[in-house]
Amino acid sequence: MVITVKNLVKRYDDLIALDHFNFEVKEGEIFGLLGPNGSGKTTAINCILSLLKYDKGTIEIYGKPMSPDAYDLKRNIGIIMQNVAVFEELNVYENIDYFCGMYITDKKLRRQLVEEAIDFVGLRDFRKFYPKKLSGGLLRRLNIACGIAHKPKLIILDEPTVAVDPQSRNNILEGIQRLNKEGATIVYTSHYMEEVEEICTRIAIMDKGRIIATGTNDELKGMINSGEKLTVEVLKLEHGILEGVRGLPNVVSAEFYDNLLIVKSTKGKNNLVALLDYLKTKNISVGKIYSEPPTLNDVFLEITGKELRDQL
Amino acid sequence: MFLHNYIYRLKCLIRDKETVFWTMIFPLVLATLFYMAFSNIANFEGFSPVKVGIVDNQELQENTNFLRALASVSGETAAADDRELFIISYVSRAEAEALLQSNKISGYIYIEEDINLVVKHTGINQSIIKGFLDDFKQTTSTVMTIVSRNPMVDQGLLINTIAERREYLKEQPIGMENPDPMVVYFYSLIAMACLYGGFWGMKEVTAIQANQSPQGARISLAPAHKMKLFLASMLAATTIQMGIISVLLLYMSFVLKISFGGRLSYIILICLVGTITGVTFGTFISSVVKRGEGLKIGILIGVTQILSFLAGMMYDKMKYIVNTKAPILGILNPINLIADSFYALYYYDSYNKFFTNIAYLCGFIIGFSIITYMVLRRQKYGSI
Ligand SMILES: Nc1ncnc2c1ncn2[C@@H]1O[C@H](COP(=O)(O)OP(=O)(O)OP(=O)(O)O)[C@@H](O)[C@H]1O
Ligand SMILES: [Mg+2]
Repeated sequence: MVITVKNLVKRYDDLIALDHFNFEVKEGEIFGLLGPNGSGKTTAINCILSLLKYDKGTIEIYGKPMSPDAYDLKRNIGIIMQNVAVFEELNVYENIDYFCGMYITDKKLRRQLVEEAIDFVGLRDFRKFYPKKLSGGLLRRLNIACGIAHKPKLIILDEPTVAVDPQSRNNILEGIQRLNKEGATIVYTSHYMEEVEEICTRIAIMDKGRIIATGTNDELKGMINSGEKLTVEVLKLEHGILEGVRGLPNVVSAEFYDNLLIVKSTKGKNNLVALLDYLKTKNISVGKIYSEPPTLNDVFLEITGKELRDQL
Repeated sequence: MFLHNYIYRLKCLIRDKETVFWTMIFPLVLATLFYMAFSNIANFEGFSPVKVGIVDNQELQENTNFLRALASVSGETAAADDRELFIISYVSRAEAEALLQSNKISGYIYIEEDINLVVKHTGINQSIIKGFLDDFKQTTSTVMTIVSRNPMVDQGLLINTIAERREYLKEQPIGMENPDPMVVYFYSLIAMACLYGGFWGMKEVTAIQANQSPQGARISLAPAHKMKLFLASMLAATTIQMGIISVLLLYMSFVLKISFGGRLSYIILICLVGTITGVTFGTFISSVVKRGEGLKIGILIGVTQILSFLAGMMYDKMKYIVNTKAPILGILNPINLIADSFYALYYYDSYNKFFTNIAYLCGFIIGFSIITYMVLRRQKYGSI
């Protein structure tokens, strides 16, 4: 087990930021911690890294208790914090070299690692740039390079894509997957469910300091009742048809606007076939058809009763 | 690793333009302004005697003490001794008035019962004449009281003795170089600049404390001993501030021609101790005041200005007021201690005073360091 967190409780005065928080991260996975703003993701990461005192619980990394002096553990960890942590007075190369130098003392090896990190995040053309001159996305990439140049076995990224343009975001997500392929275990926090769905091999959804569900993407979606969302293009819907659709088995809701019939149903086989059959018997001609599986938002919605999206 | 951190910390400090402004440019500008403001007064010290008219009448001729006093600050003997204060024209009252109106003299003196000064407007020259007269009157009244109790003493001789003693007090302890009362200002300015080393100390604590900056959080997560990192930081801060103080000293001595008495190794020693005091003062503020860059800087500047004032940077007499009325304030004021050490180097041959001050400053350094250490030693925070 790479990380084991048991019964972690963290209070800020009256506020309980982490409430008996449990999770495990296994070797080689991309573990996603998904939760809305203020759910306690950063707090959890800072506790794991021994930056924050906590009130209760145990934290082990590679089977050993984590502490500020656990240098042999720290050597293997790379961290990309939510807030960009680079020095304004140092340029791209120097920033990476400075932080890398706290892990790697051999100068030759370090130079090579720094160059690799620069290429990895695609900042080759900007190596002499100072952070002030970098765009938001490039700055985030520098922030990442500073955390991974020493080739850590465990990489923790706290919302690395906040306020990043799509191009840099894709670059970052691809990079994370590449690091994982090269052998690193990844912990990734985000409130963007699409990102988590895209790259994470296992996901923990959290809300108000608690883990509410853990599993792979499919496992999580299997936990809930909602099934797919069907969208059918129809030119005209005669009176009574909508009521008929609502009466079909498994159907939860049906709406019609802008020539689109949108049907949500619970899990079940042949939902789409049943709908199309019904429309056919009513002689309604059908245009394009889409079927979307449930999203993590649906998972969050069903468990907490509120939209993950609303919180964004 | 130590060298790695030291070099990068030094880079970060040197490239911080705003702090370089406060620690280097500001004291240089202040020194220049002082120099310009004092150059008038400094002129009086050296040369250009004041032109005075003296109304030559019966009463003047009877007042031999006054004639003798005038002779001691004018004429060829005085000029040769470099204490020529006045160029005197002995004239009639009417002539004196005419000279004054045509600005040929700064003022004229006539004696009728009392000694009177007539001027057209006030200025430095006029103050000098008045100062001389006040001095004379005070001396003579001292003499009169002594004489009235002891009529056997020769008045004239006594006045000269008193006058010479004053001369003696003024000239003698200075000894090695030209006397210059303005050094109080410049010495306390250097002392202030030393304490501005606190800016670097402050920046360094912020840079490595996880609860004060994201960079600090990143550094705290590295497998490196916190105190080793901190020592590299302190060394970088001391290095840059020593560089800045050297620039200031070179500027003062070679451009502004301020005299330091010339014992270089001791000057370096006091600058180093002063700089370390400043740097640790900054780390102390930064570790005690947790948040708010602006607040910290405000405290540093505010405290430094008050201490500079008490040490005589804005008003040179302040130093003496503090030293006589509340000497403890002088000891509790690092700026005063630093300025006073320069003073001691300049005025005294013995190093007693100098090393006493250094000892007090080391007390400050130790105090600031212990408190900083207590705060920095903690590695986990309740909230960040
Ligand atoms: N230093 C602090 N003092 C007091 N409360 C805090 C502090 N830091 C965080 N909190 C509170 O703790 C809760 C969890 O915050 P945290 O920053 O861990 O959330 P998060 O999931 O990382 O959110 P985000 O997506 O916005 O980064 C929030 O309610 C927040 O207001
Ligand atoms: Mg966060």
